[in-house]
Amino acid sequence: MLDVLTENFDAFASGLWVTFRLVLASFLIALVLGTVVAALRVAPSRALQRLGAIYVEVFRNLPLLVLLFISFAGLRRAGIGIGPWVAGIASLGIYTSAYVAESLRSGVFAVSRGQREAGLSLGFTQLQTLRHIVLPQAFRTVIPPLGSITIAMIKNSAIVGASLLALPDLLKQARIVNSNTFQTTESFFWAAVGYMLLTVTVTVLFRSLESRYAVKR
Amino acid sequence: MNYLFSPDNWQWLWTDNNAGFLLEAFLINIEIAIVSMVLALIVALALALLSLSRATPVRLVAKGWVDVFRNLPLIFLILYLALSLPEWLREGWADNAPAFLPDALRGELVLAGIIGLVLYNSAVMAEIMRAGILSLDRGQREAASALGMTYRDQMRFVILPQGLRRMVPATVSQLITLNKDTTLVSIITIQEVVRTGRGLTQTAGNPFVGGGDIQAPILQVMIFVGLLFVVTNYALSRLSRRLEVRESRRAAGEGRVAVTGVEDLAVPATGGPSRS
Repeated sequence: MLDVLTENFDAFASGLWVTFRLVLASFLIALVLGTVVAALRVAPSRALQRLGAIYVEVFRNLPLLVLLFISFAGLRRAGIGIGPWVAGIASLGIYTSAYVAESLRSGVFAVSRGQREAGLSLGFTQLQTLRHIVLPQAFRTVIPPLGSITIAMIKNSAIVGASLLALPDLLKQARIVNSNTFQTTESFFWAAVGYMLLTVTVTVLFRSLESRYAVKR
Repeated sequence: MNYLFSPDNWQWLWTDNNAGFLLEAFLINIEIAIVSMVLALIVALALALLSLSRATPVRLVAKGWVDVFRNLPLIFLILYLALSLPEWLREGWADNAPAFLPDALRGELVLAGIIGLVLYNSAVMAEIMRAGILSLDRGQREAASALGMTYRDQMRFVILPQGLRRMVPATVSQLITLNKDTTLVSIITIQEVVRTGRGLTQTAGNPFVGGGDIQAPILQVMIFVGLLFVVTNYALSRLSRRLEVRESRRAAGEGRVAVTGVEDLAVPATGGPSRS
């Protein structure tokens, strides 16, 4: 059992590192895009709200695998060739941003109306009220859902490695080790340990964020 | 944009019944989703009951099982099963699968896909069920026990009927995720919609994959496939939202005034885990 790990340690470590970078980069994209889309969803304009809603419904209901085909093979055929890393990070980021936007939106609704009205009556513009008053509080209430979204993202990152992009992530490395050693259960077991390592770290991280920043209402 | 909407690039869709071919393949995805969800719900109920058991070792094992399979990537489980399912099982299925099933569901690796989907989704659903049961007022169980009901009767007549009703909306939204996840079995070569779509782009004039004379461009094919999912899942998400509203109204009691147009604001009755 242990020898599969020790003899292929470099493969597993590099796979874990690839998965980690993939998740981190996509998470940042998802956070930025998700915030913008959530802002659209609560904007004081029907058209903008609808735009945000369409974005969320499309990317939340589309399988990630299909998104990967569109962004990699599809765009390549259309003459817009992007590398597997860019396609993988962009797809995972965009896919997750729809979930981030939805949870942020419910966080915005959890901030009491009075906060927004107070901001507006102090002479802040809509955007300033959102940026300085509503969103900081909304982010605090959505720390726990953001944690589960991040864990879902770690799991979804395996789809990127298993798809046609073939990024050498943890799952891909486990499959390579398996085809070299023919020890299927052992190779997959150590990859599973790697994934657990990531999800446990994220859980602990978000718990500590939660206890530091959670708002009591 | 020109490339995207140019009629030349969409011509494949209405030649040689390609559209019908993709729709038929999409039906396979729906079938896989429904079969997996039904099986997952059965397993999940058992897991949820075990994880609420009063015997500590049973509870710990059930919780550990749920935590492991909930936290592993689904594609990881599917690929592992595809590599490690015993041969007698794979071949046994391929030889004995009922004839009414479509060809795509009678292959050797179908079981790996379905077992993977069931393992993962049963763990997720078990957690939702457990939350639904725990969200019930303590008094319900206390009242049942004061009436002299046994543990089994309390569960069967008091706790489960209420707890399970609360998780109906969450089940529907999990069905959306499951529906999307059925595309993953294309990776283990099951001929569902993504794989069929790829086939259309690779083989012009191959009668076995239904390809016509026109080689379909992959961007347009995948956009069409994506649309099928977006439309189906959007309908499911409307349904789930409607059920949530109904549930929270029920929870709030009859006295609450029904305000139309604020469906989006309704908070699900179970503060359960996220949908993803």
